[in-house]
Amino acid sequence: MIEARNLSRNFNGLTAVGDLSFSVPEGKLCAILGPNGAGKTTTIRMLLGLLPMSSGTARVAGIELPAEDRAGAELRSRVGLLTETPGFYDRISGRANLELFGRLYGLDEATIRARSEQWLRRLELWDARDRPFATWSKGMKQRLALIRAVLHEPPVIFLDEPTSGLDPAVARDVRSLIAGFRAEGRTILLCTHNLQEAEQLADLIGVMRRRMLVFGPRAELTAGEPRLTLTLEGDGTALVAPLGALPGVRSSMVVESSRGERSDPAASTTLRLTVDDLDRDTPGVVREAVRLGAAIRAVAPERTSLEEIYLRAVGEAEA
Amino acid sequence: MKRDTLLLFLRKELSDLRSNRQVWPAYMLLPLVAILLPLLLLALLPVLLQQAQTGQDAAVSMLVETVARDSTLRGTTLEERLARLLMRDLTLFYLLMPIVLSASAAALALVREKEQRTLEPILATPIRDRDLLLAKLVAAVIPALLITWAAFVAGSLMTMAASWWTVDVIILPTSGNLVALLLLAPAMSVVAALLALRVSARFTDVPGAMQFTGLVVVPLTLILVALLGRPAMMWPLAGLSGAILLGGLAFGLFRMNLRRFAREEILTNWK
Repeated sequence: MIEARNLSRNFNGLTAVGDLSFSVPEGKLCAILGPNGAGKTTTIRMLLGLLPMSSGTARVAGIELPAEDRAGAELRSRVGLLTETPGFYDRISGRANLELFGRLYGLDEATIRARSEQWLRRLELWDARDRPFATWSKGMKQRLALIRAVLHEPPVIFLDEPTSGLDPAVARDVRSLIAGFRAEGRTILLCTHNLQEAEQLADLIGVMRRRMLVFGPRAELTAGEPRLTLTLEGDGTALVAPLGALPGVRSSMVVESSRGERSDPAASTTLRLTVDDLDRDTPGVVREAVRLGAAIRAVAPERTSLEEIYLRAVGEAEA
Repeated sequence: MKRDTLLLFLRKELSDLRSNRQVWPAYMLLPLVAILLPLLLLALLPVLLQQAQTGQDAAVSMLVETVARDSTLRGTTLEERLARLLMRDLTLFYLLMPIVLSASAAALALVREKEQRTLEPILATPIRDRDLLLAKLVAAVIPALLITWAAFVAGSLMTMAASWWTVDVIILPTSGNLVALLLLAPAMSVVAALLALRVSARFTDVPGAMQFTGLVVVPLTLILVALLGRPAMMWPLAGLSGAILLGGLAFGLFRMNLRRFAREEILTNWK
């Protein structure tokens, strides 16, 4: 549904996006992460045909890019865009703004009226519909911008920093809306700084800094090396060897130990075990530790966090 | 060009205009002056004639002599001929009005989009550059022309009444007046709006765009009024030729604006 092939974009000799390739299948949500100036917005603009590419090609919603004038208009009718700032007319009402954009997307009045009412009610904006847009709160404005992005029911949606600057409650509402769009089968490209948001919503994750540094299914990227942390009462160093010899356990080590007596309530040992499969191997490790007389305070599975992946990729790119 | 898009923007701009009190003074003051100025001059006519007869004011005496010699002015009395001259030349003010109004509206049109960051969402719709630019142009020119024509009708009626009262003759608008108002005014208005659109694209704030438009675009277009307006009042054919000339100029300016109205420039350089 979205396919970028070696996209590049230069501005006055500077490379904003270079040799970028990735693909998002139909109905999937792909989060693109990257620091400021990484080229995320430029990528969206190129994929929407708003900015010409310096080189490369793309295919979005069945339209090949670069596209001629008419094909470009057709592409824009099949894609919804949420820009970083809402971008509505301050002096006219929220509903009038939706009507205007609905008409620009080629919808007839009856359709716009019906869909606007449905969405405004669903997002709890109905009571404010006839107030000038300037009087709306930031969260309300962002929700209206989301309505505009889906008013023409596009199969593909581009979201550029949809929760930037929103308070946590509104950001959560916006995220649940985005999850709803994905559940409806739309293909979504989400550019964000928010790692938690990406981890929560995305099927695919890409980390970019001018070029794509990391790209793949979220589950695979964050699986990494499955690790298990055991916190035991007292000195648990004697358990390192027997636990390390269990099937499915690749390594075992003490990461922290206060080496106290077991009767000392503050003393503890933390062991880290690398296992093949967290779900399969964790019960066996716990059973064996208990059999060996360990008093377990906590068991915590550890996966590679998205933050680690992101910082490593961006750090390497900067180096 | 989709007619719907034009009407859509026209409605939006009118609605915006209604709620924008900053532009109200210009839209109200100019028509008011255009209506009241002829009445004031007609009321002052006897004083002017008296000054000419007594030779108190050399300029007025010269004006009266010019009027007496001007073969394009009809009238049996000097008073009537002077009244007709004033009425004829005052139509120049009606040419100035749509220029100022449409240039101001056009200057605001793009800068306000920039300020509200509405351009990217608009460009992300299937609208084409030509349609957007044309819609902005129409939305700037139509209200300016409607106000001008309404003021002209009101001003002409007042002038007819006042001339009957002061010189016992009903002075009707001449064919030159009508050609100027119906052909020259729209053409000048379009040229001024296109210049303002082009110039305002370089500004990011409303005051800057308005000041530059007031200082550069309006004076530039006023030269056109001076060059074409007066001949058009005297010889309708000159007005017609001027309108055709300006039509060509407007077409060229539109093409130039369209070429410069690059999405890339808007998205990357317009902050």
